[in-house]
Formats: sequence, C-alpha cells, structure tokens
Amino acid sequence: MTGRTLAVYRKEILDTLRDGRSIFAIFVFPFILYPAMLGFMSWIQSRNNQEEQSISVRVGIVGAAQLPGVREALAAAPGVTAVPLQAPPPTLEGAGVDAALVIPSGIRDAIARGDSAKVELLYKEADHTSSAAAERVDPVLDDVRRTLTVSWANSLGANARSAPTFTVERKDISSKNEMGRFFAALLIPYLLVFMIAAGSMHTAVDATTGEKERSTLETILATAASRGDLVIGKTMAVLTASLTGAVTGITGLWITFNVVTRFVPGMQENAMQLSIGPDKALLLFLTILPTAIFFSATLVAIGCFARSMREGQTYATYVYMAAIFLGLGSFGQQTPPLSRFFIPILNTALLQREILTDSVQSLHAVTALGTSGIAAAVMLVIAVRLFSNESVLFRT
Amino acid sequence: MIQVTDLKKTFHDRKKGEIPAVRGISFVCSPGKVFGLLGRNGAGKTTTLRMLATILVPTSGTATVAGFDIVEKPAEVRRRIGYLSGDTKLYDRLTGRELLSYFGSLAGMAPPAIAGRIEALTQPFGLAELLDRRVGKMSTGMKQRLSISRVVFHEPEVLIFDEPTSGLDVIGAHAVLGLIQELKGKGRTVIFSTHIMTEAERICDEIAIIEEGEILARGDTESIRARAPSRSLEDVFVSIVGEKIRDR
Repeated sequence: MTGRTLAVYRKEILDTLRDGRSIFAIFVFPFILYPAMLGFMSWIQSRNNQEEQSISVRVGIVGAAQLPGVREALAAAPGVTAVPLQAPPPTLEGAGVDAALVIPSGIRDAIARGDSAKVELLYKEADHTSSAAAERVDPVLDDVRRTLTVSWANSLGANARSAPTFTVERKDISSKNEMGRFFAALLIPYLLVFMIAAGSMHTAVDATTGEKERSTLETILATAASRGDLVIGKTMAVLTASLTGAVTGITGLWITFNVVTRFVPGMQENAMQLSIGPDKALLLFLTILPTAIFFSATLVAIGCFARSMREGQTYATYVYMAAIFLGLGSFGQQTPPLSRFFIPILNTALLQREILTDSVQSLHAVTALGTSGIAAAVMLVIAVRLFSNESVLFRT
Repeated sequence: MIQVTDLKKTFHDRKKGEIPAVRGISFVCSPGKVFGLLGRNGAGKTTTLRMLATILVPTSGTATVAGFDIVEKPAEVRRRIGYLSGDTKLYDRLTGRELLSYFGSLAGMAPPAIAGRIEALTQPFGLAELLDRRVGKMSTGMKQRLSISRVVFHEPEVLIFDEPTSGLDVIGAHAVLGLIQELKGKGRTVIFSTHIMTEAERICDEIAIIEEGEILARGDTESIRARAPSRSLEDVFVSIVGEKIRDR
C-alpha cells in the first residue's frame, strides 16, 4: 500500500463522513430500520399465532373404539372437534374434516403380539387449516403413543419401558398440484411486490433526478407541457417498467418450475406444478395495478425531491426495503384480519394470496383495492406538487 | 414583447434565511429587437430569465410575455417561448429525430406538423446527419445545432437565451449569435443574458446591466457605450458594477 493509496482512502472517508446521507445510511438508518423490521415481523408473527390458536378444526378419527380415550383426548384439545369416521377418507374435503387420525384395525392384536403398529395422521401441508389441525393434534398424539404403550404392557403384564415401537406418523397427503398452489400462493404475491419495486426503481430515479443531474430539467419545464403532464407521463413510464419487470419475473419463475426442473437431473421428482390459469393471471395483474401505480408515484415523488442520482437511489432503496418487509408480512397467514387490508403493499400481497388459493373475500378485495387506489392517487398528487415546487426542484 | 415591472424574487433558505436574488427590476423587450441582460455570475440574470420562462414564480411584481401574465397564464406563456440555457443538455439516448419529435409533442404539435417541421429545419440547421444519430454520439457542435433547432422548433414568438454560448468554442458561439440575429430579423422578441461584453456589443439593441438583483443601467447599446470615453461596453460595465461593489 502506497502513500497515494492512503491519501485516496483518507479523502474518500472524509468525503463520505461529510455527506449527511451517507452518515444517515451508515449510522442512523440501521438503528431505525432493523428495530422497525423486527418489531413489524414480531407483531405479524404474534398476531398469526393468536389467529392460529383461534382456528376451529375438525379432526376425523378412524377406529376410535380400538384405543379408548383417544377420541376424548382429541375432543378435549382446544378448538378441535373430533369426528368419527368409518374408514380412511379418500379426501379430507369429502369427509368434511381438516385432518384424519387413522388407527388401523387389529391394532390391539398386533400390540398383544408385540408387533410394531402405525397410526397415521393424514393432513395437508399445503392447506393452512389442515396443517393447523395437525399442529393442534400433536399433543394428543403423545397420548396415543402412551396409550399404545400402556395397552401393550397391560396385555402382557410386562413393563411398559420395554415396549415395541408404536409409530404415529404424520402423513402429508397434499398432491403436487396442491403443493404447487400452496407455494405459488406463498411466493408469488411476495415476489410480485418485490419485482414491481425493483423494476420501478431505476426508471423512476433516472426519469426525475436524472433530469436534474443531466441538466435537462429546465428544457422540459419551459415547454407547454404542464407539470401534471410531465409527472403523469413519467409515472406511466415507471409503471410500464415495473409491470414489465413483474411479468418477466413471474414468467421466469414459471419457466423455472415448469420447464427447467424437467431437464435438471434430480429435480424432476421434486418438481412442482406452478400452474396459474389465464383468469388468475389477469386477476393478479389487475390487483397489482393500483400498488404498482402507488410505487411508481412514490418513487417519482422521491426522485423529484432528491438532489442527485445518488440521493435518489438511496431513498429508493429505503422504499424498496419497506416493500420487502411489507411483502414478508404476507407470509404465514391464511385468513388475516380486515385491518391488514388497509396497509398498502401488504394488502395486495394478501389479496393475491386469496386469489391464488381461491379464497377471495369480497370485503378484503374491496378494502385492498380501494386503499391501494387511494394511496396511489394521493402519491400522484404529492408527486405533481413536488414537481411544481421550485424550492424542491431547484434545491441544492 | 416582454414587459417586466418591479419584478422581485427572494429565495428562502433554512440556514441562510431570505436571499433576495432579484430586487424589483423593470424593462421592456420589443419584437424585432435583442435585449441583453448583462451581469456577473450570481447577479440575478438566470433567476430573471427563469421567471420569464415560468420555471420560477416571482415573489412580487408583474411580467407579461407575448401578452400573457407569467403568473396567471404560465401555460400560455410557455406555448409562446423558446428557452435555451448554456447549462442545459439534451437526452443522450435519443436520436436527433426522436428528440425534436419529443419537444414538438410537448409543444402540442401533431405528428404531421412535427414531420413537416423536421423537414423544414433539416437544410438550414444541417440536421440530415443528426436525425438518426443518438445525441450521446454527437460532437459538441452537432449537439449545439440540435439544441438550437429544439428551441425554434415550435416557432415561438419570444426567445429566452440564458448565456447560450457558455461552454461553446468560437465556431459554436458564432453560430448561436448568428441565429439570434436571424431571429431578430424575423421580428421575434429576443432576451439574451451574458457576461461576455463583446457578444452583447455585437448583437444587442438594448442592454440592462444587472448586479445583485438590481438594474444599474439600462438603455440602447450605443447610449450605454457612450458612458465611457473609450466607448467600450466592458469599461462601462466595470465602472458601474465596480462602483456598486465598492459601495457595498
């Protein structure tokens, strides 16, 4: 390392330390951002846990008579309704249950012979209520294991500690299609939010702050175009970029899941069917539109405010990160409360999840689209006002 | 025509407080004449011209451009002006044709009118080699020709030039000054700011010397020059502005 290298290093550090935005990004922002992130995620998680606890589930039980007490233990679990079934159901939906505990016939004899026995809990990981039912039944399964062990010990007069293995197996019976739909509902809303944010960032900053930095701003301000014409035209361009980014992103994802996995050795078995029909694709597009306008207008407003491309990119990154956190908030909740549909970005991700799982509630849809539409309109007005404010446009 | 009456502009800065950039100036620019606004850097020339172009809103006072008030009818004013600043640039990623079409559209021209205007300007401005070339790949001279074409593209009645020769070489500056004289010959109203006295002497019919946002001297070029024994505009400028600086 030469003296010149150190001189360059010192100058760059000095330059950085005298830049208020860098100081904010390095020393202040993390102390605001990360606690806010953690707080938001914890709040979402705790609300999700509360909601999960409040879900009522129906658990079918086949062969309950063979293991006395199991049905009662199931019925005693909070929020669980035990439903007796004659035989293992072909589908959970057909039997009107969220999960099914299947105790095979002849288990008592098997126990008496000292054979291993297997009780199955059928559920669907791809279905939130079904997986919640499986979770709820978990403590009861311990009772089942204990009952089986004691039953064996009693039948032989033996010590329960030397009991053979009694397996209570959780069996995910989700089909590939259902798993594909589950992952699509989990990932696509989040990815769409992420992609429209990513797709709009560069264009927005380039179309606004870039005009200032390239000294082209005055030329357009002195034309017959109104400030509203200019801002709306720019917002539309940003919107086009962001929607294009979202469409290409989802297409890339679809190709990855549905095409690439077929040709990559070892991936075929685990490949999922990420099938979105044209009707759902159209609904996804229409529901993302207000949020994409909101994003575009927000970034245009930020671009009008920023003094330089560097400053604009910094602010845009904060918006991008906020979008990511709000998108993350859509994870892990099947039927969120109405209040969450008032939070821009998060509401779109939640609504899209409902679309992909065929569980759209009209009140949720109206609230999400209405809130996003209002937020987009407000942001557009703010962007036009900022673009009309000379102290913002020409601030140094 | 441009009529300016007691025009003021004060900027508000959180740290520095109120900054008066233009302190009540008045002047008239007539059609077929070139009005020169002469001043040092920071004298208030750009702020004045930006107000006339409706880019900035005056704090007080009035001004009309082509008969329209700059505060009450800014859109009408912008329809009738062409604005060129030495600092402004063009869009590097557009071709010459795309750039002219863009500004033609912003001026409200229909596509056939835009195509016709491009054709009309191609010969006099030597645009043939620029139309399908990206601005970023053009030489400084080419960009200058394109800039000038942009300003006159929608045939504005009033032309506002803010130090248009700044950063240009002798040939480029000569071309710009030639255009201004040509526009004057066509009966257009031209206001032109500069700190280069020889340029002002060459093309201005009337002159205002501005310092710290105030007009210190105003009149036709000959009468202003006559204030110095040498009849040099530079000597008059140094004398008037120097006196103001000394009094400060």
